[in-house]
Amino acid sequence: MTTKAPKTTSSIVFQVFRGDDAAGREERFEVPAVEGMVVLDAIHYIQANYANDLACRWNCKAAKCGSCSAEINGRPRLMCKTRVDEFGKDEIHVWPMRAFPLIKDLVTDVSWNYQVNKEIPGFTPPANEPVPYRMLPEDTERVYEYRKCIECFLCQDVCHVLRNHDDKSMYYGPRYMVRIAALEMHPLDTERRTGLLHGKAGVGMCNITKCCQEVCPEHIKITDNAIIPLKERTTTDAYDPIAWMLRKVRPRREPAGITGAQTSELGGVRLPQRFAVKDVVRLKSAGRPFARVGGVRPDGKLEVWILKMRGTQQHWKGPRVVDTSEVTNNYGPLDDVGIGSKLFEQTLTDHAE
Amino acid sequence: MSEPYQTLTTDVLVIGAGGAGLRAAIEAAAAGARVDIVCKSLLGKAHTVMAEGGIAAALGNVDADDNWQVHFQDTMRGGQLINNWRMAELHARESPDRVYELETYGAIFDRTPDGRIMQRAFGAHTYRRLCHVGDRTGLEMIRSLQDRVVQLGIEVHMEMTLTRLLKDGDRVVGAFGYNRVDGSFVAFRAKAVILATGGWGRIFKVTSNSWEGTGDGVAMGFDAGAEVLDPEMVQFHPTGMVWPPGVRGILVTEAVRGEGGYLKNREGTRFMLEYDPNKKELSSRDVVARSIYKEVEAGRGTEHGGAFLDVTHLGAEKIKKKLPSMYEQFLRLADVDITRQPMEVAPTIHYAMGGLRVEAETGATTLPGLYAAGEVAAGLHGANRLGGNSLSDLLVFGRRAGTAAGAYQREVGLGGIDERQVAEEQHTLLLPLTGEGKENPYLLQQALQQAMQDGAGLARDEKGLKACLNGVLELQQRAARIHVPGSRRYNPGWHTARDLRFMLTVSECIVRAAIERRESRGAHWRLDYLEKDSALGRVNFIAYNDDGHVKLRQRPVPEMPPELARLIQEPAAMPPPTTQPPAPRPPSPKRVPA
Repeated sequence: MTTKAPKTTSSIVFQVFRGDDAAGREERFEVPAVEGMVVLDAIHYIQANYANDLACRWNCKAAKCGSCSAEINGRPRLMCKTRVDEFGKDEIHVWPMRAFPLIKDLVTDVSWNYQVNKEIPGFTPPANEPVPYRMLPEDTERVYEYRKCIECFLCQDVCHVLRNHDDKSMYYGPRYMVRIAALEMHPLDTERRTGLLHGKAGVGMCNITKCCQEVCPEHIKITDNAIIPLKERTTTDAYDPIAWMLRKVRPRREPAGITGAQTSELGGVRLPQRFAVKDVVRLKSAGRPFARVGGVRPDGKLEVWILKMRGTQQHWKGPRVVDTSEVTNNYGPLDDVGIGSKLFEQTLTDHAE
Repeated sequence: MSEPYQTLTTDVLVIGAGGAGLRAAIEAAAAGARVDIVCKSLLGKAHTVMAEGGIAAALGNVDADDNWQVHFQDTMRGGQLINNWRMAELHARESPDRVYELETYGAIFDRTPDGRIMQRAFGAHTYRRLCHVGDRTGLEMIRSLQDRVVQLGIEVHMEMTLTRLLKDGDRVVGAFGYNRVDGSFVAFRAKAVILATGGWGRIFKVTSNSWEGTGDGVAMGFDAGAEVLDPEMVQFHPTGMVWPPGVRGILVTEAVRGEGGYLKNREGTRFMLEYDPNKKELSSRDVVARSIYKEVEAGRGTEHGGAFLDVTHLGAEKIKKKLPSMYEQFLRLADVDITRQPMEVAPTIHYAMGGLRVEAETGATTLPGLYAAGEVAAGLHGANRLGGNSLSDLLVFGRRAGTAAGAYQREVGLGGIDERQVAEEQHTLLLPLTGEGKENPYLLQQALQQAMQDGAGLARDEKGLKACLNGVLELQQRAARIHVPGSRRYNPGWHTARDLRFMLTVSECIVRAAIERRESRGAHWRLDYLEKDSALGRVNFIAYNDDGHVKLRQRPVPEMPPELARLIQEPAAMPPPTTQPPAPRPPSPKRVPA
């Protein structure tokens, strides 16, 4: 079948949310297609030609500032980084981030994030650390990932603790876990934030669905590299009596860099891992899966149930018997770590049956 | 009669929350002043965040021969000697301390194997001098400063635009503007005001600048009676993205060339070997930009009118480590994998060397109570800025303005607010909503951008500049007839209407000065006067406000003391080969377990 080329230049249909905290609806706009166009270009076209007062935030248009966050066809993304050609002929729906109160059109009130940020104790170097600082590349390497964050708040938008339960009093959200991780892992930081994490920051509220790291435009492995290590650190600090004792003997961290040469041997001690039923652990096997301890056998081996994610659904496979040396981390008891939601319990029971 | 407005009182008002504003605020707060920062966007989104390549400071970590004298030489030579020598000296001397200081706020630069700050090569810097964090140095810098500001408890008023400086007699005593969110009016009373509003790249069509670069500070200062220095000096960054159209102008960091990228024409020739055999791709920005332009004019350009920038020989691993955001940017926005294909680049408007004239030591403008730091101020860079000198500029002169304003505010009281000035500004602001006009602010803005691009762009001549000036003057008339629909609640059309007035003022300054500078010098390239004119090399142009009209006059370039003048006459030090590895690493210290 042959069809004539359309006489008009091809155009794309945008359904853009317009409204304020009182009321709102989608408005339809047709925008001429330009090669390589991103959603933000279309929004600018609409602003210039159809709706001068269409509200949206943007700054750099190069994915460096994190201002133009929106939900595009339901997915939290940066408008400047979303090509329109990936949607083919489909209509493109552009909505504001829905985890935050609406101001107007695509602009939301994100001030809560800035409030939270103020509660986090800032970088605290040792008082007598000589300047210029010496920090070895090996020590600084891991911090770069956290510091890539452009504060687009898409992770906050998608985090179901903040979004679905609207529980901003319980959890600071992924962005601030990344921020705390950056501070905690800074080679010269001396402040201890595990008390905050355990308490008001609510690191335990995260149940590792990894939605935040899926939407991160900077590809920060938020859950894997920030939240989980913070959970480990918090659990150790909050519950482990041996770690508590070690802290009394020596401060947690030595200044890194050249002075590291005099580090006490104690720093290298591996803490014994004790296991109890319900503990959430991470295995060394391929993919470093999470598992839940179902039982501890008399020979010391563990029966574990391994977590498989299907989309956002948690499934638990098992039981499998593993040696304790197979375990890299013990996050501690389920209830305290917060991995245990009702869903978690339910799925576990279903599978056991 | 004016509408009621909120009045806020502070000691030091900082307008702008980029590198210079934040650094100034930190210093003024340290001097014991109450400080309020006002910014048009959210905190941490200022244009500084887009700086990629690095911050220039003669630490000598990688090339031990580097020192402040060489940095001073490079800066002055790059600026074609119309810089303010004292600013260049202070800048070269103080940059290292400002970089180290940034690390005490929590920044972490890339490191040498023995744990010092790593430095990379950059255009027209004799030695490897740019401290960097991959290609996101600006983000690291703004985040560190922002964290420090939060730690110090300094008040930040986000999404607020100040549009007029308030004066009590000659002295600047505050500013007036509006909240972007609800459109309500606000007045600040302050003992001192620091402008740190950045540049004006947005008045051109092809630009690497964010929407905020509308020249607010320069225009506000000009309106209030401050002097604008060297407005004709507008920097083209040689490498902006070219294709697809939506990304045209987005910056491709100079670090790409600093890390060893080659510029090639369509025939595959490395043309910089001809234009500047010594510095090659790492020649100064004006030279590289012109070379690309000439290649395109000679018919050797790429399909979309640019040049190829090729890093494929560096290997995928190095590219992804050292240029991660470039890799991502091209892959995502242009479907180009830079580890395998060359990038297509062309010059893009990047930076304003010109701005408000300030005193070198203090950042004081010609108006009492008004200070300026960063891109909004002028003098340091002369006719061409070297890459990496802007980030150090922000820190060195941000701090100095903060110190000076902090001291000044102790000596003076609050001035009075003149209700007549407030009423005038309210009228200007409200006109687009209440007036009878029909003009669309966005379309006028686009017309201005096109006019400036065509008439006052990379290659200029008298005829084009005069046509451009007429265009600007006509747009000024039309701007009085703008109409914007909707309410004052978060209305970008309304915001653009006011920004456009700033842009038009600045444009007129640029074009008028560009007509008068009948020579080619640095970024200012006149096709009808291709040579330098030694007489014009001894003067700066100053635009000033004469009863609402832009007037120009010449001012002699400040004369260097003999010991610095001698430095400039010395032959340039030969740069070391860039393949040379950094200083050897001492025996590895014992690792601290994580």
